[in-house]
This record gives sequence, C-alpha cells and structure tokens, in this order.
Amino acid sequence: MDARDWDKKIEQALNQGTRVDPETRENVWNNIESRLYTGGGKESTSHMKRKRNFIRLAASVAAIVILVAGLNTQPGLALVNRIRELFDPEKNITQDIEGTPEERNVKLNEGKDAEYVIYVDEERYGFVRGEDADRIVPNPPLEERYPEVSMEIRQVNDKKPEALIEEIQAKLQQEFSDVTAPEKVDQPVSGWTFRGLEGGKWDSRLVRVYVIDNRKEGSFVITQRYFLEAEEGHGARFDHMLGEFYIVEEQAE
Amino acid sequence: MDIQLIREIKNGNKDSFKELYEIYADGALRTATGITGDRQLAGDAVQETFIRVYRNLDSFDIGKPFKPWFYRILTNECSRLLRKKPRMVSLNRMCDEQGCQVADREREDYTDLYNAIKSLKDIYRVPVVLKYLQGFSEKEMAGILGLNQNTVKSRLFKARNMLRKKLEAGEGRIGLGRKGLG
Repeated sequence: MDARDWDKKIEQALNQGTRVDPETRENVWNNIESRLYTGGGKESTSHMKRKRNFIRLAASVAAIVILVAGLNTQPGLALVNRIRELFDPEKNITQDIEGTPEERNVKLNEGKDAEYVIYVDEERYGFVRGEDADRIVPNPPLEERYPEVSMEIRQVNDKKPEALIEEIQAKLQQEFSDVTAPEKVDQPVSGWTFRGLEGGKWDSRLVRVYVIDNRKEGSFVITQRYFLEAEEGHGARFDHMLGEFYIVEEQAE
Repeated sequence: MDIQLIREIKNGNKDSFKELYEIYADGALRTATGITGDRQLAGDAVQETFIRVYRNLDSFDIGKPFKPWFYRILTNECSRLLRKKPRMVSLNRMCDEQGCQVADREREDYTDLYNAIKSLKDIYRVPVVLKYLQGFSEKEMAGILGLNQNTVKSRLFKARNMLRKKLEAGEGRIGLGRKGLG
C-alpha cells in the first residue's frame, strides 16, 4: 500500500469513527444557547453528580490538567502569559448556596510557580500567596468571635495521595474528636476527602481536606477550615471555587 | 464569510453565532470525538469551545484566519476534559445501538484502524486527527498546538508508522478481532 492509499485509509477510518449524531449536535447548541442567552446554568451533556446538598451548575469538571505544550525551555513569565491566553481572566459561575442558586463572578489567580490556577470569588475572598502554601481567606476578615475560615492549597512534591492520606488523617485525629474515613470523590476535585469536626455547636471547628494527585508523583493538599454553621455557606463556596481549580502541566516530548 | 460573521457576532447578533455554529459544529464534534474517543466528552468539549469563542471574540485578531484559532481552543478543551477521565480503548466503544455486528470487510478494516488511532498517545493522536479530519497543514498544526513545525512533522511520521505496525500486528484475526483491553 503506498503512502497516498494509507493516508486515504486513515482519513476514512476517522470519518467513519467520528460520525456526528444529529441529536448531539442539537443538544450541544441548546446548552450553549441556554448558557449564553438565557442566563441559565444548564449542565453539560454529561451526567453531573450531586454532592452534599449542592448542585454544580457550571459545565466544567473537577481538577483538570491542562497541557501547556512545548514550554520546557521558556522562562516562567512565558508560562504565565500562556496561562492567561488559555484561561478567561474572569467568568461567571452559578452555584447553589444554602439551597438558592447564586451567580458569582470569579477571577483567575495563579498559584505558586504557576503550577495551578484557581478562580476566586474576589467579592468575598482574597487570594494570599505564601512561602509554602497559598490561602483563600474572607475579605474583609471575619470578626474575632468566629473561628478560622480559610482554604489552604499546598503542594507536597514527594508523596502521592495514597501515601499521604493516613498521615493527614492521623494529624486530624489529634486535633478533632470526629474524623471521617477517607472517601474517594470526583467532585469538586478528583481525589480523596475526609472531614474533621470538633463538636455539635454552631461554632464548632470543622476542617475538610482534599488530597489530589499532582501528576508529578506528589499531591496537592487542600485544607478548608470553617465552622459547623458555615458548612453550607463558606464550605459550599470553597467547594465551588475548588471546582475551578486547574493543575498546569508542561508536556514533555 | 467568517470575518463578516465574526463582526456580526461581536455586535451581539445571535443568528450569526448560530450560523457560525452550523458551519463549525460537525467538524468540531468529529475532531473532538477523534481526540477524546468519547462522544459525551466531545459534546462537552465543543460546548465549552463555542462558549469560550463567544466570550473571547474580542481578543481574536480579525486579520488572522479563524479556523486555526477555533481549533486551538477546541484541542485545549479536549485535553482538559481528557485529564478527568481515564482513557479506555475498547472495541465496545465502536459499537452503535445495534451492537457489535460483524460488518463487511471494508468496515472491519476501518474499525481496527480507528481503534488503532484511538490507542495512540495524545501527542500522536491529536496531530493525526487534525491533519486527516480537518486538513490542517503542519504549519497550521504547529500554531494550534503550540509546537515547533518539525515536531509536528516528526509526530505525524511516527504516528503513521505506529498505525501501520498496529494494523499489521492485527492482521489475520477473525471477525472484528476483539482485542479487548490491554
């Protein structure tokens, strides 16, 4: 078989294998129309799971790795610029807060060394870059009488989630009386989660931890801290922002 | 035609955006299906692409060709969604609602070849899909994928050789040649 015949076969194989279903075509348009022209938060063509009494109405999915190809020799600033090309600087998401759908404008923030990006609701929260971890905190800060409310994003370079979970759980058990077993989840991020709770009062401290694979033999550990009464408020908002967390990966040749 | 449409869309003309969709939807769905190997993911990718196109049209340079810009966004969306789901190459995915019938000889060859394409690593499969479904040149693909043109050329060359080898390895099997997974 000569090269031209081979090219023809590849083309025909692809044409045959990728036939378009008219119903899909129509459904995709309906979803686009709904999101752009009616202001609805219609879900994507895939089935979306409901988690912990809130509905993700945005069509995007959990912590997704974006390939930023061919940047191995480019300096950090070029990577940041490329990220800004690929991601909208801001977007509107619809989230379910305490049973009510709420549209929020969220803004793009780059994490440490531009290894991840996350969209933050900057009307309510600030993104603070730290030496070892970044934090999302209420802005303006809460009154003194409230327990800590924050979401910390930390990268652990040398331990995969499966190796880290027990360690983190043991630490939580020193701090909290009620710690759940690790649970595998795919929303708002794909990985493991568990929760620690101090007690049953409105201001009992609560921590929720997500551990996800950073795709470089390590992990991202996301620690949300709030209090029991704030679970459906700050807790839900943190989860919605986490749903807009993306790992940035450079693709090797 | 694209330029006029784009101007009208920028002015908020919904009918023009629908027209753009009609022009690009089939090609986009085919390409996304070829890249992701999953029709649902493909639908999601195309949906997100058109939304991103609509929202970022102001940043599009009207002096440049629209198609490569569009497909750059689409390939990025496909990559994004692929990272969520593990890819599976399964003969079952090639079956339609009627099931996996034994087809005529010609159809069988294309099924095996399509499966072979789907089994390629992303870095090889994406250029193959862009070239053979959309007819992009190596230069255009380099722009879409953010790669050096020689890299694109090399990957296409390797992909075609890999496909040949995969197909040669599969010759002589009976029926649809159910390879299964792994």
